[in-house]
Amino acid sequence: MIKNLIIFLFFSVSIMRLYAGNGDYAVSNIPAALLKNANVVKRMEEIKFEIVDIGKAKEYYKYAITILNENGDKAAKFYESYDKLRSIESIDAVLYDGNGKKIKSLKKSDIEDLSGTSQESLIESERIKFHDFYYKVYPYTVEYEVAIKFNYTMFFPIWEPQDKEHLSVEESKMTVICPQDYKLRYKAFNFSKQPLEASQKSALSYTWEIANLPAIESEYASPDWYELVPTVMLGPNEFQVEGYKGTMDTWKDFGKFIYSLKVGRDELPDDIKQKVHQMTDGLSDQKQKVSRLYEFLQQNTRYVSVQLGIGGWQPFDAKYVASKKYGDCKALTNYMYSLLKEAGIKSCYTLIRAGQNASSIVSDFPSQQFNHVILCVPLSKDSIWLECTSQSLPAGYLSGFTANRYALMIDESGGTLVRTPKYGLKENLQERKIVGAINDEGDLSSTVKTKYKAIQQDELESMINYLSKDKIMEQLKKEIDLPTYDVVKFDYKEEKDVSPPVIDETLELTASNYAQVSGRRLFVNPNILNKTYRKLKEDPDRKYGIELTLEYRDIDTVELNIPSGYKAESIPPDIKYETKFGKYTSTTKVTDDKIIYVRQNEKYSGNFPASDYPELAKYYEQLYKADRSKVVLVKKE
Amino acid sequence: MPIKLKLLLLAVLFAGLQGIAQDKLNIKFGKVSPEDFDLSKHSFDTGASAVIIADIGNTAFEGNNKGSLSLLFKRFERIKILTKDAFEAANQSIIVYNDGYSEEKLLDLKASTYNLENGKVVETKLDDKSIFTDKITKYESRKKFTLPGVKAGSIIEISYSVRSDFYRHLRAWNFQGEYPCFWSEYEVTIPPFYHYVALNQGDQNFSISTSKQVGANYTLREPGGTGRDDIVNFNGTATASRWVMKDVPALKQEPYTTTLRNHISRIEFQLHYFQFDETSERHDYMGNWFIASEKLLDNENFGKALDEDNHWMSEDLRSITSGCKSSLEKMKKIYAYVRDNFTCTDHDALYTDNSLKTAFKKKNGNVAEINLLLTAMLRHEKIEADPIVLSTRDNGYASETYPLMERFNYVICAAKDSDRTYYLDASEPLLGFDHLPVDCYNGMARMINKEKPYVKYFDSDSLKEQKMTQVLIINDEKGHSVGSFQSLLGYDESYDLRERIRKKSTGAIFSDIQTNFGSDVKIENTAIDSLNKLEEPIKISYDFTLKNEGDEMIYFNPMMSEGYKDNPFKSAVRKYPVEMPYCMDELYTFSMEIPNGYTVEEVPKSARVALNENQGMFEYLVQKSDDKVMMRSRIRLNKAYFPPEEYNSLRDFFGYIVKKQSEQVVLKKKK
Repeated sequence: MIKNLIIFLFFSVSIMRLYAGNGDYAVSNIPAALLKNANVVKRMEEIKFEIVDIGKAKEYYKYAITILNENGDKAAKFYESYDKLRSIESIDAVLYDGNGKKIKSLKKSDIEDLSGTSQESLIESERIKFHDFYYKVYPYTVEYEVAIKFNYTMFFPIWEPQDKEHLSVEESKMTVICPQDYKLRYKAFNFSKQPLEASQKSALSYTWEIANLPAIESEYASPDWYELVPTVMLGPNEFQVEGYKGTMDTWKDFGKFIYSLKVGRDELPDDIKQKVHQMTDGLSDQKQKVSRLYEFLQQNTRYVSVQLGIGGWQPFDAKYVASKKYGDCKALTNYMYSLLKEAGIKSCYTLIRAGQNASSIVSDFPSQQFNHVILCVPLSKDSIWLECTSQSLPAGYLSGFTANRYALMIDESGGTLVRTPKYGLKENLQERKIVGAINDEGDLSSTVKTKYKAIQQDELESMINYLSKDKIMEQLKKEIDLPTYDVVKFDYKEEKDVSPPVIDETLELTASNYAQVSGRRLFVNPNILNKTYRKLKEDPDRKYGIELTLEYRDIDTVELNIPSGYKAESIPPDIKYETKFGKYTSTTKVTDDKIIYVRQNEKYSGNFPASDYPELAKYYEQLYKADRSKVVLVKKE
Repeated sequence: MPIKLKLLLLAVLFAGLQGIAQDKLNIKFGKVSPEDFDLSKHSFDTGASAVIIADIGNTAFEGNNKGSLSLLFKRFERIKILTKDAFEAANQSIIVYNDGYSEEKLLDLKASTYNLENGKVVETKLDDKSIFTDKITKYESRKKFTLPGVKAGSIIEISYSVRSDFYRHLRAWNFQGEYPCFWSEYEVTIPPFYHYVALNQGDQNFSISTSKQVGANYTLREPGGTGRDDIVNFNGTATASRWVMKDVPALKQEPYTTTLRNHISRIEFQLHYFQFDETSERHDYMGNWFIASEKLLDNENFGKALDEDNHWMSEDLRSITSGCKSSLEKMKKIYAYVRDNFTCTDHDALYTDNSLKTAFKKKNGNVAEINLLLTAMLRHEKIEADPIVLSTRDNGYASETYPLMERFNYVICAAKDSDRTYYLDASEPLLGFDHLPVDCYNGMARMINKEKPYVKYFDSDSLKEQKMTQVLIINDEKGHSVGSFQSLLGYDESYDLRERIRKKSTGAIFSDIQTNFGSDVKIENTAIDSLNKLEEPIKISYDFTLKNEGDEMIYFNPMMSEGYKDNPFKSAVRKYPVEMPYCMDELYTFSMEIPNGYTVEEVPKSARVALNENQGMFEYLVQKSDDKVMMRSRIRLNKAYFPPEEYNSLRDFFGYIVKKQSEQVVLKKKK
């Protein structure tokens, strides 16, 4: 009781100090430097996060933002989520005009209560409180003050005063209060000062404060956002959620906790057990057993997102999946784990942050940074990775969705941070050969054979495995970048037993008026299907480094018959560019009856300084031009 | 605008079609045999990812404990999943409404999946624990579930009932949808005292359409509190009407479609009147346009406040209109005030949620609130103004014959000044005075007033989008080719550009143009005219310098980057009309002085083609002289609506434009 009282006093003192009153939000008080490039100015922000005990926490936050123009309106919208474990105690808000004069306060009835279930999900336990003043006389200021109670201590807030571009910050402050003996963990980015520590009898407090951050703009291929702006991540030490206890100060311990959530949920029904033995007992090779069971999983389950249970962290048990034949990533992974276990094969439930362009995990700061679960089967030589939500990927192949990043592999002894396989220049190959003809009307008829490998086949892989023939044709007729064309026939062959997987595609493609006819001349672009599109704007003020992630190699060969009676008037010169960003060569030859074109484009990955930007822009422009240069044929007289 | 609404009066149907032999589908929930998996005797689009084997619905009335009638809607559906991309058909969501007093209730939900395993049918049932309730708003909940055990090749069945207190909302039925359907059936049984109008649309025909009289018994019970319950018993006959469509193809979204809702085969119902028997009084629900108009004007959530004195706005209006010399000027000032100071929170609303006074105070509201407020403010200043109700393009057509208010979703304002009517929408911040959003051009709209609720047509055929672009290139004193580019955009394109500039900046727009040209061309003296004169179209201009590398031959496209590079009509066939937002008219002229030291080797040939005689035309004219090349390209369409039978010629027309506009001029170095 006394403890609570002290914290309460502690709280109210700083609230009083904060309550500066009306008039302060006049736009005239904003320093000019903070208006530059800004749509929104954060006038003040105060976050107070209090760890009450191992199972409870509270958050109080207040912020005032001035919206300078229409593009800032989005920031004025208020969203806060809640569920069984997280309740919103109060929401207060005030709207001020440009002079800082109060226009009105929020009425409780103005707050909307929305479902938090996303489009992709069947159901999620989260709900959302939403409010918007819908004001539009600029500039105006909204001030929100919110108190939240948590019945868990697994997730801590993050302090990122500048959480979007075109937003400047006048002042922002975060205070964390915890029991004296609590070992708070934190990690700061772009913020060199240590937090201000204060001790108040039974409580400790840490305060971070920052002022006057001018607005910034994101740039092409710039690093992850948290590497650009002042950010402090917080991490729990001991924590609790719905009766489950854990510690998070090491990846090992965090892994132990995740393991405890799933322990005992691997019991299979008898008929499935039997099936496992039927399928695998006769096989001697571990790898074969894994593949066989993975196929069984793929043929008998499907992905359905059901986000319930321990804040969405506990997998549904194996029996649930066995009877319903569906589950989310956790449930399906746990089910696969159970199948393998029955066959005597050990595997590891593995947390990962999935997404083609997902920001990377902060590897030296154990905390909840994941959004997906996959399975890793460690075998004597190498590991087999399984994406259990896919019904078509071959065993062992992770697509661009989860490849080349940190993942937390979990077993009974805890978690270990490992890296998933990387697919690089050698693997991500696209090799295409087009054989065709142009007639004197400029019409093209051609056969296009393409081999796609590793990440280059990802999109196609899901298209051919999930869509009906009809829809594939529909896609093909829509997505090729040619003015007027038709796909007459298509065929796909998957090579799943090679690693990484390969798809062989054959298209019969016609395009009317592919070559432009002007009087006696025919203009033919020999690069029919593989043009680069990226052009970068000039940016002499480039601020951030350049991060190029995906590596790949494209090889294109085109052999085009030309109508008789024509000779070449102009042929694009041979091109060879070698830069740190990639290598590009193309050659064009015209014989009596043929155009022969060969192009190779290699894209490298890497981190480059901002000063390299003009060079990169120039390189992209060169490729853009080279890919569009034309052979000019003229009718012999 | 061809609105295909066939009308069937149930009473007439009943008289005419009684006694026709019935054709029933012998199908029952839970009775799936191995033969049912074999669809080979059906003919359907083999590319489909799922087929609806049967979709059978039934609505009947029944007495309830609230002293009135409820509707009981029953549905049974059997679907075969053919490929994985139809797994979403196994994710079901049933919406139920309540308004605090009346409610809808989901009853008897059952669902099963059937798989054929070793020649045997294996059933997996949906368990009750896997049915979730997702509360969307206070009034709307969704019962969500997914079927267990679904694979490619599975058959799924869903069966449920919904009991509804909203007896006026007799459920509509879609015979057509995303997947082909073998058998779609709907039956409604209506007591004789309710008279509904059935509206039927789409190009599919009924295989069965019957109507007969059946015995009916309704018991209405009204709780009497402490006293005795009030019980009314009705015994008599009702009319059962039944419609079946067989082998209905799927309907797919294609570009230039206002909404698929206009084309889907569907039947819906409107309560026309209630009359207990021939001798009793008739209660008209639907009425006619005069009655509907009057009702709207009297409605608290629509017109009620328009005729009030609204003194709360007087003071503000005084300052808004101060210094105005004419009533037109006042009208413009008030319009701009509402547009610039109010946020539209919902562009899909026929009725107000808040009073106009509240909206005025809050400075925000839905489109009905904003434009009704505008109307009230104009009237307050003695300007003649009336609301107009309409249905936007994405909402589908409204009915011209019947005042079906559910079909409307938008309100604008018509204001008059010296015999000229101005159409105003203050809900879009970038819209000019007397302009409407393109989405409002959807045919029939209704003016709402006491004297004469007349029809006003906003047809896309009447909306012209004119664009004029001019490129002029000359040789400067140093012998460089320097050019000027000028384009007067159409109003809609201007609107889009204003939005883009608002999101980015004027600088960003020109930076994009520069990036497009690449580093060989430098653009300068950039200008945008009329950006803030929202009534006017935008003019955009800049100068540029071309690099001359001294090549032997110079090839260039005189369209610069203004030509059509793609045919907007990719699909080879089209089953329903092309509905463009407006009639386009694009003129492009180009004039170039031949660079010093070059001669013209070749220019594209001139051409002129018409689209279906007088529906549109494309001309491409080229002229050359010793020192100049000039060309002019014009595309003009005289209408925006093209029925499916005109699709091919439209596609060819654009195909030809793409081809012609890609042609090149060839210059050769003088020897």
